[in-house]
Amino acid sequence: MEPIVVTGVGIISSMGVGKDVFWRRLMQTRSGIRGIDRFATDGLTSNAAGCVRDFDPGRFMPPMRYRRMSRISKMAVAASVEALADSGIDVGSMDRDRIAVVIGTAYGSSSHVDAFFMSLLKNGPRGAQPFLFPETVSNAPASHTAIFHGLTGPNSTFCQNEISAEAAVSYAAALLRDRRVDAALVGGAEELSEILFRCYDALGALNPVRVAPGEVAQPIPAAGLVLGEGAAFLVLERQTTAERRRAAVYGRLEAMAVTGGPCDMGRYEMAGTQMMRAVQSVLDQARRPREDVDALSVSANYSKELDRIEYRCFRDYFKNCRCLHGVTPLKYLSGSFGAGGALRAAAVLLGFRHRMPLPVVALETLAPGFKGPVAWEIPPEQPAATVLMSSATFGGGAAALLFSSGH
Amino acid sequence: MRRNQKRRVVVTAMGVVCAIGGTLAEFRRRLFAGRCGIDRLTLFDTTGFSCGAAGQVHGDFNRRLGPHEVRRTSRCDRLGLVAAAEAVANAGEGLFDHRRETAGVVFGGGAGGMLSWETFRRTLWREGKARHPALVLAAAPCTLTDLVANKYGITGPRTTISTACSSSANAIGYAFDLIQSGALDLVITGGSEALSEMTFAGFHALKVMAPDPCRPFDAARRGLSLGEGAGMLILEERDRARRRGAAMLAEVLGYGINADAYHMTSPDPEASGMSAVMRQALVRAGVAEEDIDYINAHGTATRINDRMEALAIGNVFGPRGRRELMVSSTKSMIGHCLGASGALEAVATVLALHAQTVPPTANLTTPDPECGLQKLPATAIRHPIAHALSNSFAFGGNNTAVLFRRAQTAADSRAPEAG
Repeated sequence: MEPIVVTGVGIISSMGVGKDVFWRRLMQTRSGIRGIDRFATDGLTSNAAGCVRDFDPGRFMPPMRYRRMSRISKMAVAASVEALADSGIDVGSMDRDRIAVVIGTAYGSSSHVDAFFMSLLKNGPRGAQPFLFPETVSNAPASHTAIFHGLTGPNSTFCQNEISAEAAVSYAAALLRDRRVDAALVGGAEELSEILFRCYDALGALNPVRVAPGEVAQPIPAAGLVLGEGAAFLVLERQTTAERRRAAVYGRLEAMAVTGGPCDMGRYEMAGTQMMRAVQSVLDQARRPREDVDALSVSANYSKELDRIEYRCFRDYFKNCRCLHGVTPLKYLSGSFGAGGALRAAAVLLGFRHRMPLPVVALETLAPGFKGPVAWEIPPEQPAATVLMSSATFGGGAAALLFSSGH
Repeated sequence: MRRNQKRRVVVTAMGVVCAIGGTLAEFRRRLFAGRCGIDRLTLFDTTGFSCGAAGQVHGDFNRRLGPHEVRRTSRCDRLGLVAAAEAVANAGEGLFDHRRETAGVVFGGGAGGMLSWETFRRTLWREGKARHPALVLAAAPCTLTDLVANKYGITGPRTTISTACSSSANAIGYAFDLIQSGALDLVITGGSEALSEMTFAGFHALKVMAPDPCRPFDAARRGLSLGEGAGMLILEERDRARRRGAAMLAEVLGYGINADAYHMTSPDPEASGMSAVMRQALVRAGVAEEDIDYINAHGTATRINDRMEALAIGNVFGPRGRRELMVSSTKSMIGHCLGASGALEAVATVLALHAQTVPPTANLTTPDPECGLQKLPATAIRHPIAHALSNSFAFGGNNTAVLFRRAQTAADSRAPEAG
């Protein structure tokens, strides 16, 4: 099967707007999790989240183009602009029918859903704001991305909670492998709205940490989710296509798997069986032993369940493997959101590009009973050549992606 | 054209719940009878709206579910669970073997459990209290995917596509991909949608809703009617289905998916995307234009959609498309079920292939000469159908067309609900 490579990256995140700022702050392990200053959080258990700050969509597109866009659509289009430019793809010289846009998002524009519904509640049917409604569909970010770049290829949006972006990557890779497209802009986007934050608070799922607005927060380990937002895009191509146009390659997507197993709604699959089946599947597909994995990007998110599942499963599965010298729970710095897999993947690929290992924490940081503080370090070893990205979501879904640098 | 040599994908069972039928048998009977299920909406107060009609599912479908399935699930989830249970029951013996990892669930959803979220939101606004937070969880469109996968112990890929009105057509397409490529042997696919105040108000605000039941392709059409329901299809690899003696109701030959990249709510005035997506489905399926006998149109009954879809049919199929090709719109009977419409209309398309009968477009009295479609039956009509297309077009310019072929042997063509 022809290899799939990554030739472009675009990032809008709580850790920085633009891939270069993100990378610099990642290597400084500067957290994007701060006290929320964009909306009121009075009376809630938490006020900490990974909100995108200093985002000026005008840096990426003319004001007329984003006038009616929701926050999520603006972030998505902005990230896609950076990723496409980074890839060096000249859309005008390619068959636009053969460039796909595939996005993962758990909730789409929750702020527009809320604003539209509130306009209905407050003003009645004749006062509901029509211009808000088109942005309430989950595919709005993907559609705006296609409209902005004039991309008429396959366009799809995947919503699978915390593995939404991983599902999108799987579909995009299948389109490329089936030669139905020549390139795919694939990624994820999520916006943090007041209503979404309040919903998670009502569910009792948030990390009970409160700090002054704008101040960096230190969430309590395994005490609850820290939400985030942002958008990240990758440009995927078949290796031969990338070589033909002499594109700089970040790395190779070796394999991907999406699985799932029975569990209570709203909870993770506690045994971790399906998560590890996804891990085994990508290693089997790539014909690589577990010892080949240099680094682990884990999906730990400060939640009570997921962190301990990953701790237990990886401790046993990767026993004595070098990848357990430390793991990268990027959500500890960026916050957790449905499309966070795209940001994690982008971080892995930036690590390949810069030939630097990603910052890690000790695996025990994810263990039950760990009290903190979370200690990050840049491993002294060689840059990772093979990185496994493991993901799980509440509801029972799991996914794994395997990347290699090709160095 | 050379037919694709990859694994073949067949529809072996279906399940439905919608405004004209709580079961597949009932749906089939009323579909061919041209029964319009669009009537007074009672699910919520429609005072202040210029329209009070919708394709609502009436009757107590909850009784077909276990108590644990009713508790803490949304109306959308319950509709989907009912239709999925019927599809699984209709699939007969041996549907699930011991290798549950070779089975998957791919659903399409739009607003999901919005109706439940609205209850939460209204209480939060009026009382300042966040009551019943479980309603929030039920709001995500992927909840149904997890519920069905978990119910049947399916451990293969589970995923949810949300591309507004083409969601479940895309889900069927992706399910087809997963089987054709060899990744899976069996996929439960389809979609579910429940009426909600938000979607009702949204289309009302856009001024595209008809005051009375919608009339697709009619000269006097005044807009769309919303609906709700769920359509589920069991897709299987053909040899697997044959080995277990399953009915093969139709074969999925391919699908097209693309984007207009034009405007969020208006279709491309040249219908380029709609035309291209039908051509893409034909090419992928290895089927020539002249081999298509029936199109289950997106047919929303808005002025612009029907005109653009007719233009696209003319673009792809030439004068024959306008003059000879059978076209009908299921939305005339069940309303526009948004995220579920692609699945429900796929079920109608498979039934048409199976019965060799074109379902009618209800409420059609005077075909719009501007659309120019001449084979728009207002009553069901017997007609040889070897291949059929099911079109779905969505907000954001997302287009999908799924191409089906009739079952090839008499033995394959057992009654859809016989198992």
